[in-house]
Parts: sequence; C-alpha cells; structure tokens
Amino acid sequence: MRQLLLEIFGWLGYLERPAVVVQLSLVVALMLGTRTARRRRLLPPLPVAGYPPVGLGLLALSAGLLGLLRQPTGLLLLLGGLWLGWYALHLLHQLLRLWLPAQANHQLESRLLRPAYLVIAVMALVSEVDSLNDLAVAPLGELFGTQISAGKLFQAAVVIYVVLVGCGPPAAGLAWLVQRAMGMSEWSRKAMELMLRYAVVGLGLVAVAVHLGLNTTALIAVAGGLSVGLGFGIKEVFSNFVSGLWLLFEGSVRPGEVLMLDGDPCEVRKLGLRATLLWRDRDNAELLVPNQTFFTEAATTYTASDRMRRSQVSVGAAYHHNPADVIALLEATARQVPRVLPDPAPKALLLSYGDFAINYALRFWIANPMDNVGICSEVNQAIWHAFKDNNIEIPFPQQVEYSMVWPPEQHRPNTEHH
Amino acid sequence: MMSALHAAMAKHPESRSTHKRRRFVFLSAACALGLTGCAGGFAIPNVLYLAIGANSDQTIDAELIEGINNLLKLLESGFRQIYPSTRFQFAAYPETGIKPAMARRNRAGLGPDLLLINGDTAKQLVNAGLVDPFPLTPALANLFNPGDLGRLRLPDGDLAGLPVIIHSQVACFNRKRLPTPPSTLQELLDASAKGHNIGLSVELSTLFWTAGSVGATDAWLRVVQGKRLSRENVNSIKNWTAWLQDASDQQRITFYSNQASALTEFSNGRLDWISCSSTNLPRLRKSLGASLGVSNLPSGPGGSASPVNRLRVLALGHSSSRQGRDRALAFSRFSVNPLVQRSITLGSQILLPANRFVKVPVQSSVTLQAMSDSQEASLRTAELANLLHVDDPRLDRAQNLITQLVFGEISPQGAATALIALMEAKP
Repeated sequence: MRQLLLEIFGWLGYLERPAVVVQLSLVVALMLGTRTARRRRLLPPLPVAGYPPVGLGLLALSAGLLGLLRQPTGLLLLLGGLWLGWYALHLLHQLLRLWLPAQANHQLESRLLRPAYLVIAVMALVSEVDSLNDLAVAPLGELFGTQISAGKLFQAAVVIYVVLVGCGPPAAGLAWLVQRAMGMSEWSRKAMELMLRYAVVGLGLVAVAVHLGLNTTALIAVAGGLSVGLGFGIKEVFSNFVSGLWLLFEGSVRPGEVLMLDGDPCEVRKLGLRATLLWRDRDNAELLVPNQTFFTEAATTYTASDRMRRSQVSVGAAYHHNPADVIALLEATARQVPRVLPDPAPKALLLSYGDFAINYALRFWIANPMDNVGICSEVNQAIWHAFKDNNIEIPFPQQVEYSMVWPPEQHRPNTEHH
Repeated sequence: MMSALHAAMAKHPESRSTHKRRRFVFLSAACALGLTGCAGGFAIPNVLYLAIGANSDQTIDAELIEGINNLLKLLESGFRQIYPSTRFQFAAYPETGIKPAMARRNRAGLGPDLLLINGDTAKQLVNAGLVDPFPLTPALANLFNPGDLGRLRLPDGDLAGLPVIIHSQVACFNRKRLPTPPSTLQELLDASAKGHNIGLSVELSTLFWTAGSVGATDAWLRVVQGKRLSRENVNSIKNWTAWLQDASDQQRITFYSNQASALTEFSNGRLDWISCSSTNLPRLRKSLGASLGVSNLPSGPGGSASPVNRLRVLALGHSSSRQGRDRALAFSRFSVNPLVQRSITLGSQILLPANRFVKVPVQSSVTLQAMSDSQEASLRTAELANLLHVDDPRLDRAQNLITQLVFGEISPQGAATALIALMEAKP
C-alpha cells in the first residue's frame, strides 16, 4: 500500500514539466470558464446544453495551436476526450429517457454507466504516466496468507460491483423464463428473481475469493469466528437477513402480498436483505419493517391462498320495516355494486335490536383487499340510495322523556296513557 | 443552532448559492496553486522517471518489480548522497511494446526521463525520435569497450544510449536431478539419453548459442556480411541445423515455443537443464533454492558456445524538463562509475558491469564465473550482433525456418539452404 501511495505521490513530479502544466492549465481554465459561462448565461442565445460543445471546441482549437508550436498535446486531447465522453453520457441519458422508465434510466446511469466511465477514465489517465501492468502487480499486503496485489483487488472490486449491480436484469430474465415454462404466479416469479439474485451474489463472492486465491481453510476458520461475533455484535442484522431468506422460501411475505399492519392493509413492495418495504394505500406511505418482525410476530394476510377478502358494512333500519324486506334489499343492493363479487353472493344479516334501530350487517366479497375502503364506501352509498328509493328509514337516535310520579308505586307506564 | 442556520439559509436562498460559489472559487484556487506549485509548503518532488524494458523471457509480475526495486535500491542510496531528495519511479514495459507506449507518453509530455532498455531497442527509439541521443564525452566513452559503443552508434555518430549492464546467457540445471552439468553438446544428448529432461526454446535468440558450439558462427557472420561462403561454411550451417533436428528427435529433449514456457517448466522441477538468462536467476533461486546450479553453456566440436548477451543501456527520454534531464544525466554517469558498477555486480549477482575497468570477482561465485565466461564467449559474435538487429525482417523468417526444422517440417539440408538464401538477401 505504501508503495502504491508513493507511486501516486510521485506523479506530482510531472508538474515540473512546462508542457504538462500548460496542458493541465488549459483544460482546467476551459472547464471552469465553461461552467461559469453556463451558470451566468454569458452567451444568452445558447441553451444550457450548448456550453460544453463550445468549451470542447475551444479545447480542440488550443490543441491545434499547441500542435502548430510543436508542443505535446496528448494530455490535452485525452482530457478533452474524457470531457466529451462525459458530455456524451449526459446526452445518452436524455436519449434513454425516451425508451426507459425514469427510475431504470437513472439507475443505469448512476450505477453502471458513470462509474464504468470514471474507472475507464482513471485507467486512461494512469496509463499516460505509468504502466498499468506495473501498478496491478504492486503488493498491498496479505489476506489469509495470500498476497493481494492492487490489480487483484481492483478486479475483485469490479467483479463484486458488477455482480451486485448487474445481476438484476439476468435474474429477472431467467425468472421470467421459468415463470413462462412452469406457469408460476407473478409473486412466485418475483420471489424467484430475488432468490436468483442472492444466489448470483453468493456465487460471485465465492468466485472472487477463489480468484484472489484465498485459503479456504482460513476462510472457514474466519467464518467460525464470525459466527461468535454474529451472536453478540450484529445479531439483529444477521437475524433480519436470515428471516428475509426464510420468508422468501416459505412464500408468506412475497412482493405483492397484502398484510395487515396496525389495522391497515399494506402491500409488500420489496423483500430486502434487512427490511421489507410495504406500501400503505391510506396515505401512500412506504414502510420499512425489519424482516424478523414477520418472522417472530403473528401477521394477518389476505393473500396467502387467494386474494379475495370478505368485507362488511353495518347499517340500522327502523323497527317498523319488515326485516325480511330489508335483508333482501341489502343483498340486491350489494349485487349491483360493480366491484362486489357476485360469487360468493353478498349476504345480509339481522345482527341485533338496538335502542332505536334494528342493526343489519351486509357481508360481501371483493377481489382486491387493497380496495376494501373504496368498495365499502361504494356499498354504503348504494344502500343510502336503495333505502331512500324504498322508503326505508335509517332512524336517528330517539329518546322519550316523561315525568316520574312519586312515590314510584303510583307510577304508570307511558303506554297506559295512549 | 443548526436549525437556526437552516432557517436562515431557507430565508436567504442566495446565501446557499454564495456558499457554493465560494467553494467553487476555493477549489479553483486550490487547483491553480496545485498546478503551479506555488503553495507555500508544497514543493514538487524531485522524481526521476524510469521506463524499464522487460525481455520476452521476463514476465512483468511482482517478482520482477521486486527485482527492479532491489537493483534501484543498490543505486538509490548512493545517488541520494550526491543528489538528496531524489526519488525514483519506474514503469516496466515489455521490450516489444515499449515503442508505442513511449510514443503515447511523449505525445502527452509525460514520457520518462530515462529508459533502461536493450541497445538495439534504444537505436530503434532514437531513430523514431522517441528518445534523445546520449551526449558522450571522451572520458565517458573511455569506460566502455569500443565494440559495445560501436553497436550503439547511430549513422550520424551519436550514441543511442549509455551502456550500463549486461545480461548473460548461461546454463541452469537442477543439482538434485543432474549433479554434473553437461559441458559439451554430446554430453547434453547423453544426459537426455540417460533420462534427464532437457528444455530448449525455438526462439532464435535463445537457441543461437548452439551455433557456436557446432562451429557455425563464422559462416553466419560471412553470410550476413554478404561474403561468399566456402563449402566448409555451408557444411557448418548444415551441421548446426542437423544437430538441432537431432536434438528435437530425442525423447527427453523438449523444444518450447518460447523461453518463458521452458523457464516455467524448469522452475516447477519438470526439467533438469535449460539455457537461461542471468536475469532469470532470482526467480529460479526462489523456486528451486539450493538445487539451482549455474554453469557455462555446453561447448562442442566447433568451440565454445555463442551466447547472445544483452547489453542494457540508459537512453534519455524526450519529454524531460531541464531539471529532469540534468538528473537523468547525473544518474547515468553515476551508474557507470566503477564503484557503483562493482556494487551492482556483487549486490545482484545476476548482472555484469558494462564498464570495462571493473573486474568481476569470479573467484567468489560460480554464477559470476559462468556469466563472465559467457560474456567472453559472446565477443565471438559481437560483429554479427552489430550487423543483425532485432528489427531485421530476416530474423522473423529465420525464426520461422528454425521452428519448421525443429518440428520436422523441413530437412536440415533444406533449412540450411533456405537460411543461407535468406541471409544473403539484403533486407
């Protein structure tokens, strides 16, 4: 490591060369000038995206002038090329917005294209001042008895990064193929995709360890030591990870499932390594719940075997209506609401005799548990209209006041006055 | 406190942009200072940038880098006593690919100050305008063999580089499996007949030592000089090609496509004897330990072997600053100083000094003895080396003929005739 740092520090010595300083100064000046001009809109007719090409044009002109003076221009052109490439990435991002969803486009750019470009740019710059092969074999130290060189570490880091970032689309593609071949449900496909990603990441890590030539015996010993550490230090993290894997295999908490959380139905959006991301319809909130919550606590789900939910609304009708008529009307009303399932058929029940009304319950089935509140609202509205059309009264609370006769033995009930 | 600050910033959005602008100005100023080196405490390090060419039998890996580091350490401490605070930074390139690498670095003004490369490569680079001729003073010229300097002279009399060290070709053998190394070609064949595994490379430069043992070097010289060959000369070349095919027919003699493969096999203990370069010795010592033996290459009916030794020179880079050029010249002169040359030889045990006044203490080491003998024997082919350069297109075709010969595609007679015809034709 020390050797590598000394090597990097040694590159400063190139600043002793006037040709290098001139090239670097030109690039820095043009980049800063372009940035300032863009921010202050010094060239009003030019759109914001038009400033970098002007800067690049001036850079090419400077290179031409230096060339005429028989001065080195390689560094200037290289840095200009890198600047042009960065600008091209910006244009590519704009272009990809036409075909890719915004999030996918952003992820592609920020996680793959720009990091890859930066790595290539750094390597191109380093190869101007040094031999990449030389730097690659620079020893950084020992890991489990294996000599680790800068090149090996760099390759390992790149492989791990690519596996972590890039395994998503292939895993999704394979899961889609399996879904088509086996006729799996959408939620099983998502679960399989996640498991494939974990498998690829796991295999990638093992491959990197093998590539580095790490001693497997030492790795096993470390794993043994780590297990003790897990028991004390990062128990929660590991517990959440294992819970997540278990829930995936079990299939009880898969993306798309609907769970009740604090009385609200929530849809599982993503089962992560540590936590599960849930979406709550009520306020469009996204909730991060540690995986072990679902592993250790009881949870209500509406989607374990099917996605239907039996819902219910309550209503009171006046005493003078025939309960059989009310029940028939309630059932007929529920059947007319579009999002109420016809089968199983809606069922109305006389629940109890209240203080001022007979209490009925209307039970019906819906296809999507997340729509419960909306459908209940629709059913309640339909009942109001149906009761109005059929002159069925929803009574207000009623109280009858009368004077008490003293002593109580002389008191007669009100009915006797009628 | 923080919330008050945030509130203040929210009230005055321009303060945020002002903050950004200040940061931007600060970064710009830091860049400018960094570029010009004007900051009070910052001083541009005195770095001598070196590019080192690795020959085809050398793999650029951690061991080679360590070897170069060790060599530089032998020089660094002494040089720093005269020129304090000088640091060395080197980059190793395959000798075959050094030309495009230097062209690229020079185009950016980032070329090395000095190159440690083969004499032939230095001439190629000077001709391509990638390194500058070395300014040779009479006192400096007096330190070297006129023959060595002659090989480095350009048509206009300039010197492509300053000779500094010599890599010798010797024989390496596994003491555990072959206690006594073969001293003649016949003993080499006998050793293989007795079950010892011998490795040879089909690369012409590493196989040419056999021409001396068979007695074909004079014929080679005459044909390259464009002189008419006598019947005896032709026969000597035929004898050489016949010996090569005879050797390839032996069950225990293996010809490898390159020297690096032969070295790997020998290093892994699967071969008992190979020809090797002195630069390979540290790596072989590491893998074979005390089992590694070093001896002279086998002689033969034609006399001693004709090893191809490599004269390594220091060539001046084209992109140096004035101070960098001064450092490069000072280091070059320092490197050929007799005391330094002797310490390099003794310290490394794998290099011979280019300075002719430095006596190699051959009594102290069998390896140094073999290397010294190799250097003496190579003088037989010095004139040939002057005439044949690595970029000579005839060498590629000759290499092709040798490969065909070794693998039995053409007869020794046919190969000899084709080689003579090839060498007689001027490139």
